[in-house]
Amino acid sequence: MKRGLIFIIILIVSTSICDTISQLFLKNSINSLNISIDSLKKIFSFIVRLILFPKVWIGFIFSCLSLFIWLFVLSKADLNFAFSLDSMHYVFIALASSVILKEKVGFKRWWGTVLIVAGIFLVTLGSG
Amino acid sequence: MYKGGLTLKILLLLIFTDFLETFTHLCFKKSALPESGFVITKPLDAFIFIKTVALSGFLWIGLMSVIAIFIIWSTVLSKIDLSVAVPVASFSYILVPLVSIIFLHEKVTALRWAGIVFILMGIILVSLSAKKDATVLK
Repeated sequence: MKRGLIFIIILIVSTSICDTISQLFLKNSINSLNISIDSLKKIFSFIVRLILFPKVWIGFIFSCLSLFIWLFVLSKADLNFAFSLDSMHYVFIALASSVILKEKVGFKRWWGTVLIVAGIFLVTLGSG
Repeated sequence: MYKGGLTLKILLLLIFTDFLETFTHLCFKKSALPESGFVITKPLDAFIFIKTVALSGFLWIGLMSVIAIFIIWSTVLSKIDLSVAVPVASFSYILVPLVSIIFLHEKVTALRWAGIVFILMGIILVSLSAKKDATVLK
């Protein structure tokens, strides 16, 4: 494997990890809000209430970091390659949900995770 | 909280977000493309990179599209389960390579398509298993 390719993969892993951290903070904040959203008006009040959470801001910083790395990746790699590899955040979220949020990750989800990893492996192999 | 099934309106909204998602990444790619030779050696370079990319209108169109997706998703997820929404939304994993071929003249090998099929099956399995967890939360 070319050195450049490994560098790009490391960057995509980083952007996916930042994305996962961001979503964990967001999920944690939304859980503590505990309101239902079923109209456009409620969505805006929901967003306003979310903005007041410090954890949302930490999540936002990681989102920005993730976007920055993503743009850097896109400046170097093919879009279709990078986008397929970015699906690894599903794997990280499954891991994080199980380890950090202590959610029960079922058999099906682990199998799904294995398939995603296999798919990422094939996509990488397919880049020659 | 009871959530209804997939209606035609929600399905169309979800497919619309697939296209928006694809459009977002196409814009991001377009904004970053001129910087393909950019090398980051020190922290300051990162800021120069952001500044250059931010000057591209494509980045801002992409970001507006992200906000639109966020609003549509918030609405959709209050009506249907994530386990139903995610498989429909992962249609963008097929759309992005197609758009890459058409607009960016990228090459997608057969092996890569096979990988994409695996990823799609994986995402569907992951999201189907979320249904059980969601029931516990209700």
